[in-house]
Amino acid sequence: MKISEIRNEQLNDVYFDIDHPSGLKILVMPKAGYESTYAIFATKYGSIDTMIQLEDGSFKQIPEGTAHFLEHKLFESEDLDAFERFAKTGASANAYTSFDRTGYLFSCSANFKKNLEILLDFVQNPYFTQATVEKEQGIIGQEIDMYKDVPDWEVMFNCLRTMYHNLPVRIDIAGTQESIAQISADVLYGCYKNFYNLNNMVLAVAGNTTVEDVIEVADAVLKPVEGKMAQRKIIDEPKEVISDYCEETLSVATPQFMLGFKEHWDTPERTTKEEITMEILMDMLSGSSSELYRRLFDMKLINSGFGAEYFTGFNYSCVLFSGESADPKAVADEIKKEIRKFRENGIDEKTFERTKKKLYGRMIMGMNDVDNIANNMVVSYFADETIFTDFEIYKTVTVDDVKDMLSKTLDENYSVLSVIKPSK
Amino acid sequence: MQKFDIADGVRLCAVPTDKFKTCRINISMAMPLDSNASARAVLPYFLHRRCAKYPDFTALNRQLDELYGASISGGVHKKGEAQIISMSLTAIDDRFALNGDKVALECAELLADMIFDPIKQGESFPENIIEQEKHLLVEDIENEINDKRRYATRRCEEIMFADEAYSINHMGKADEVKALTPQDVYDAWEEELREATVQITMVGSMDVEPVVEMFKARFAEIHRNPAEIKTQFITAVPKPEYVCETMPLKQGKLVMGFRTGMRNEDDNAAPMRIAVDIFGGGTYSKLFSVVREKMSLCYYCSAGLFNSKGVVIVRSGIEDANEEKAKKEIINQLSLVAAGEFSDDDFSASIKSISDSIISNNDTPETICAWYSNQLMRTNIKTPEAYVEELKAVDRQQVVSAAKTIMLDTVFMLKSEGEVSENEDQ
Repeated sequence: MKISEIRNEQLNDVYFDIDHPSGLKILVMPKAGYESTYAIFATKYGSIDTMIQLEDGSFKQIPEGTAHFLEHKLFESEDLDAFERFAKTGASANAYTSFDRTGYLFSCSANFKKNLEILLDFVQNPYFTQATVEKEQGIIGQEIDMYKDVPDWEVMFNCLRTMYHNLPVRIDIAGTQESIAQISADVLYGCYKNFYNLNNMVLAVAGNTTVEDVIEVADAVLKPVEGKMAQRKIIDEPKEVISDYCEETLSVATPQFMLGFKEHWDTPERTTKEEITMEILMDMLSGSSSELYRRLFDMKLINSGFGAEYFTGFNYSCVLFSGESADPKAVADEIKKEIRKFRENGIDEKTFERTKKKLYGRMIMGMNDVDNIANNMVVSYFADETIFTDFEIYKTVTVDDVKDMLSKTLDENYSVLSVIKPSK
Repeated sequence: MQKFDIADGVRLCAVPTDKFKTCRINISMAMPLDSNASARAVLPYFLHRRCAKYPDFTALNRQLDELYGASISGGVHKKGEAQIISMSLTAIDDRFALNGDKVALECAELLADMIFDPIKQGESFPENIIEQEKHLLVEDIENEINDKRRYATRRCEEIMFADEAYSINHMGKADEVKALTPQDVYDAWEEELREATVQITMVGSMDVEPVVEMFKARFAEIHRNPAEIKTQFITAVPKPEYVCETMPLKQGKLVMGFRTGMRNEDDNAAPMRIAVDIFGGGTYSKLFSVVREKMSLCYYCSAGLFNSKGVVIVRSGIEDANEEKAKKEIINQLSLVAAGEFSDDDFSASIKSISDSIISNNDTPETICAWYSNQLMRTNIKTPEAYVEELKAVDRQQVVSAAKTIMLDTVFMLKSEGEVSENEDQ
């Protein structure tokens, strides 16, 4: 078993990278003085994984929403379900499915080893029957309906559906009533076998724990399995958006909007440097101390809910501006105008330096909470990095990098404005 | 935790620690929830985005960027029949500042500037800025409808507490806010400084003494006269009321309000907390394990205790057609808890789970800060550990007795479609 220490002197943080003989990567950050521990067992399998690679290398389609459905079902077993087992220890357990991963987690301030044992055990022991699958279709059906009434969820998926022709990121994470109706126990077992082998997974733990305790439980509970890291298929996607505008009517007081700029790159994933550079650019352009933010506020076009996100993952990347506004089209026009102004006037050095200082502080703040740290370890591992990579890379970003990024992105010819209008 | 008296009705709680990378400072100010709620609700909006030193929010935000991305937030909430306005600042701990900057003290001073030294125009506030902030507050009030869970809960509260101050929206009323003049807001600010019960809470490795001295000096300029804050506890319930409304929705929202019989926020509080948790708290609870998991009726169904008012609110998202079934089962599950029909395992699971999450509060500056600032109206401040001891001393019989005193008061159903029958009998 190989254990390496990963250290950052400036942050005074250290964590351990463990190659467990079972094939699982284990990451542990013990935190002195903390009472609680957070552990997450994650697989690189999310809603965008709508295909399974077969033995011959070809891909087979699976129903939309399967990753999320599987997440719900893994909590069950033939005797005590996972929630019942965690109830005995007092841990607070949960799980989530995102576009590109599924994570099972708990946090606790007592009985850590027992909790870790339960976590590793239940995720490794699937139990599905046709009856339990049908019962879950009822619960998830209600979850899907609930999100249809949530305007910021709808405004985002409408935007993605109008932006992307083919990429599965346009699909709702939970799927649809129709797609989950196609899910059977067999489908779940097939996906489980493909995506839940330990080589496709990672365990990250942060807080009141030690490497020895984690390894002791891992040795006792992890069962080596056949398998490798699941491969994702690169899907063809035109450069163009489907339409530059979409809208839906819901019971909201003020219209909600999302303005997305689709990007087109030659490689499927963005590098850390590209992501950080983009973050600096977005903050300079539309952050709370920017001129654009001030102008939109003064024009009463936005409230403090306005924000921007660089939304990236395998095969997709886009810049999303969102908020509430009486006049979404006017906001979109102002944003586009500001982008043109940035292109003409160049990048202001002083603003760039101030933005970097802010980013430095925000990165330090992100290293505080055990849940943040453990989730960061998962994301960094799947991206082939350490949790300190951002911290090192940000120092190397220059004004020229930002200029260069601006020349490649935020092209209004590939933008979508999604609007939720009030019913009335 | 260290406690310092700053002025009459004003105290500072400091939790010195170097286990975090950030520090946090919060100021919370409580006033009775009354007809002046709308004017007070504008205060955090107005105060947290500018001050005399940084007269517009672009200047303020640039200063926050220079303080390594420190973030400031302002808000208003209610606790019992008190309206609490609060502002918080989070910044990196001094240990991580470059060039020996004293970030924490600068942040505390900035927060004090924002409270005591806002941008003024004579003996009032600038009209254009007040108009802008009123507009934002009105939007926030109106946008409540975007979150159907919150909206339905608020409607249930309006009906259930119609004759009590608790029904007053802590955010204010849209038409009242629109009618406010800058002078109204200015007067509310002066009154707040004079009459509010105030607590400043600090978490981090910073020096406490200079901050205590600074706030003492600031409050010394104010003629303090703290207002009395009282919450009405209702212990008897007539026939439960039922109200149904419709809205174009995919999913209906069911909200049920109960009175607990508590006579004050500490009355039987620990057994009540456990009873409500077994009824509809964690995954081991009756509502989760039966109404969601066994009956597959909903994605969420849970009960929350508001001991500052002595009430329990149950919320669920269901199909309209399942309304009767869900209501009946929720009431049935409560009666099972009151009949002592829960296992020893459920009982110990509840205590373990609540204790675990309370102790976990010690691990972020935000949760430590919230734990203590939530106690601003209490004379005796409890540590998380002391609260856990109280829970552990509770026995089964006390939980059963507590559950027996929970009575249904009001049912509110937000239906997605179909016919509405008003004032239907339960």
